[in-house]
Amino acid sequence: MTPPLLPFELPDGALIRLFLDGDERAFRMLYERHTPRLKMTLERLLGARRQDVDDLVQDTWLAGCRGLRGYRGDAKFSTWLTAIGVRTTLNHLTRGGDRETEVLDELPAPLTSSPASMIDLERALAALPTRQRIVVVLHDVEGFTHEEIGEHLGVAEGTSKATLSRARHALRLALNEGVSNAS
Amino acid sequence: MHHDDTEHDSDILGMLAELPRTAPLDAGETDRMVGRLRDDGFFRARSRASRWAIQAAAAAAIFTVGAFAGSRYARRNSLEEMLSRQHLTVADRVLLLQRAGSAYVRAAQSYADATAHVDSSAVEVASRVLLGAAHAVARSGLDAGLSARLTTAMQPAVAPETPSRKPVIWF
Repeated sequence: MTPPLLPFELPDGALIRLFLDGDERAFRMLYERHTPRLKMTLERLLGARRQDVDDLVQDTWLAGCRGLRGYRGDAKFSTWLTAIGVRTTLNHLTRGGDRETEVLDELPAPLTSSPASMIDLERALAALPTRQRIVVVLHDVEGFTHEEIGEHLGVAEGTSKATLSRARHALRLALNEGVSNAS
Repeated sequence: MHHDDTEHDSDILGMLAELPRTAPLDAGETDRMVGRLRDDGFFRARSRASRWAIQAAAAAAIFTVGAFAGSRYARRNSLEEMLSRQHLTVADRVLLLQRAGSAYVRAAQSYADATAHVDSSAVEVASRVLLGAAHAVARSGLDAGLSARLTTAMQPAVAPETPSRKPVIWF
């Protein structure tokens, strides 16, 4: 007999408790609620290695589930999970060495009618050096503070700020270059 | 959140703010994740009822072990058990003597209470028992004249004057 569906509006805390009691439906609901955002964040952090995103999402959830009994609810579950995802991704990028641009061609081609389109921006982001990409994604897209970024990367706040400044400059150059090429 | 926003970067920031924040799940992605967690030992939690039963059984087992250990400890320290032991220290033997004496007093008190209204010979019985014990001690030949002194000390208790109060025999 199929178990009854869980109410969709159940909060994360209730789903986590059910999951820890062995309820698979609760996990599915948590996964489907939080993975789309997590996946996009990790994909951007990975840049040119975005084909690894599915493995990293799984690794992130696995690490999260293993440590879930230690989650006290001080931060939002999504924030807690994203922090694990960022850590997992940074480890992955560190282990994998510098394979920055080898799969950039897998990204969609820029739209000529809209040179500074979102796709251009995604491509420009993916083409940034790893450290710059991580800082700009975490700060300007995900809303991390420089202090949080510094903790993740093991650098000082000032270093994070300087890296962000260079990353924005590089993005602007890349986008302007796209505009000149298109015209 | 972005404390270092500048006029200069507002165009870039505007574009970044418009980037999509979610990526769609692939077909079967949730199932794959569930399978991986299952391989890792998740979703094998027992039902609430079986967990309750296990907890109750564990509590019963702990209680049984505790009761057994407690009774073993109590028996080990009982008068009979101590009396049967051959190797006691002097201090243990003094303690044993005190406990036996206290037990005698309690037994005599209890007998006196129980027979106060139906048997006026409670004091007589208690005294005879005590005297019998003193004679047994004497027969066993205690050193330093202890047995003789004990017997002498017990003589007045055999035929007491008219008891003016409750017949408590102190050892």
